Amino acid sequence: MTVFDIAIVGGGPAGLAAAERTLAAGLSTCIIDEQQRAGGQILRQPPAAFSVPGWLTGAPYRKGRALLAKLSDDAKLHWLGGQSVLGITPDPAAGAGFTLALSGTMGGVSEVQAKRVLVAGGCYDMPVALPGWTLPGVMSAGAVQTLVKAQQVLPGQRVVLFGTHPLMIVLAQQVIEAGGQVEAVCFAQSFAQMAKAALAYLPRAIATPAPLIAAAGGMAALRRAGVKVRYGAPVLRCEGEGLGGVDQVVIAGPNGEEALACDLAAMCYGFLPQADLVRQAGAGVRWSNPAGGWEAVHDDAMRSTVPGLYVAGETTGVAGSDAAMAEGAIAGLAIAQDAGALTEREAAAAMRGPRSTRKAMQGFIDLLRAVADPRPWLPAASAETLLCRCEDIPAGAVDKAIADALCVGPSFGASAIKLRCRAGMGLCQGRSCEHALIRRIAAARGCGEGEVEGFRPRFPARALAIADLLEDAE
Amino acid sequence: MRRIEQGVTRPEPITVEIDGASVMVHPGETVAVAVLASASRRFRDDRSGAPRGMFCNMGTCSECSVWAALGTSPWRRVRGCLVLAEPTLRISTRDPESRP
Repeated sequence: MTVFDIAIVGGGPAGLAAAERTLAAGLSTCIIDEQQRAGGQILRQPPAAFSVPGWLTGAPYRKGRALLAKLSDDAKLHWLGGQSVLGITPDPAAGAGFTLALSGTMGGVSEVQAKRVLVAGGCYDMPVALPGWTLPGVMSAGAVQTLVKAQQVLPGQRVVLFGTHPLMIVLAQQVIEAGGQVEAVCFAQSFAQMAKAALAYLPRAIATPAPLIAAAGGMAALRRAGVKVRYGAPVLRCEGEGLGGVDQVVIAGPNGEEALACDLAAMCYGFLPQADLVRQAGAGVRWSNPAGGWEAVHDDAMRSTVPGLYVAGETTGVAGSDAAMAEGAIAGLAIAQDAGALTEREAAAAMRGPRSTRKAMQGFIDLLRAVADPRPWLPAASAETLLCRCEDIPAGAVDKAIADALCVGPSFGASAIKLRCRAGMGLCQGRSCEHALIRRIAAARGCGEGEVEGFRPRFPARALAIADLLEDAE
Repeated sequence: MRRIEQGVTRPEPITVEIDGASVMVHPGETVAVAVLASASRRFRDDRSGAPRGMFCNMGTCSECSVWAALGTSPWRRVRGCLVLAEPTLRISTRDPESRP
């Protein structure tokens, strides 16, 4: 079996930037991604059989698209698309650092061996439980955005966007360009609260003015299109008559409850790092603020706490694609150095550029985190609201499990609640509800979220048929 | 669901089978889009019998899971947002083995 010098999990901006550096250093490199094509979520490509000449022409995508074009033309890159990584196991005996178990999206299990592994898994929209959120037609903002960008479809025609994250401004523009109607963009926080949070970070954020200019341009475009952007308009619940799915969103307006008719409601409260493989491999993580989830910890060259395992991009904390590209470049250089393809001096010199780029961005990243902070604005789930969508476990059952666990002792984590009520035991393996459980446990225990032990991620990281594993063993 | 027509050229359509009915899709479209194209947002029913839709479209939440079979191969549960529609594909939003 081929042993790659480096296997990269995730073909988004971070993974591509790392591959650019490892290939330049002469290392055999593969990228594994669940999508068929490279780009990650931010540059999610239309199918190869489609022709979309105007795809993502905006300035914020320019740098990423150039990287994507360069790597797509690189015959040395070994692209493994449509493959899920089930687990990363240290495997020193086989002459490889690690064995990665993969499954195809339509089944079939295989293995890849690599001396080193980089996890650049990206992030996902925080799933926020509120009454009615399991109705068909209530989706994450990222779902709507990737359906528009890649599949070139609009899953609804009358759209309400709600949450706390300014990405809603970008998505609203994309919905309008796609021919949809944005009924309203509802920020839970007030404009004054957003402005106050922004002002505190503005002096440092101005070091990278491009995203600020893009945000202002986006607001102006929505004004021209006549879109209502509402502030201080928290969503209370989603509603739908009969079996047809969502038909209105109810917000707490200045004069009481107000119903906004729609056939698509997209939530946008922030993003959680994809760190399940990092956690499964035993590498260090910490609670990610402000949106939550677990982010991988690393040294100044993106080495995780497990030797030979590297991390970059949103897996290390959600900071956007430009930061991800810089981190990916640093990781790629560190991998080249550790593999002996670059001297310490060469690597350090080459890291100077991406390190200073990454550092300059921190002001804007902090500003965005402060403005978008969802924590004061997370809607209240009712006792009947499903927290665990896979196993249909309502918030009331989770809270009872937490109260029962508290009677036994105060030092329980998310797994104890899973055992009591099955929340987190379903197909998504807790990716949707873990953060919600942790927030509720932390509140009940009176501790910080980072002190609550999360679910223990185990092999396989994705659900698969047991027959696939048995077939592989034969 | 509506396809964006302006500025998009798609390959000639094919048909796939969803719950026994023929649905037109374009090669490159996912199973999730095929279900949306069937004019239903329902991907499955939950334990209470309530219809459920897709949620994340990035392979993380598994809410778009449906049963799929290529040609005569056995049914398997797949994440609809990650699997491409193909000419011999059959899709079921209910467990095909437990149907009466």
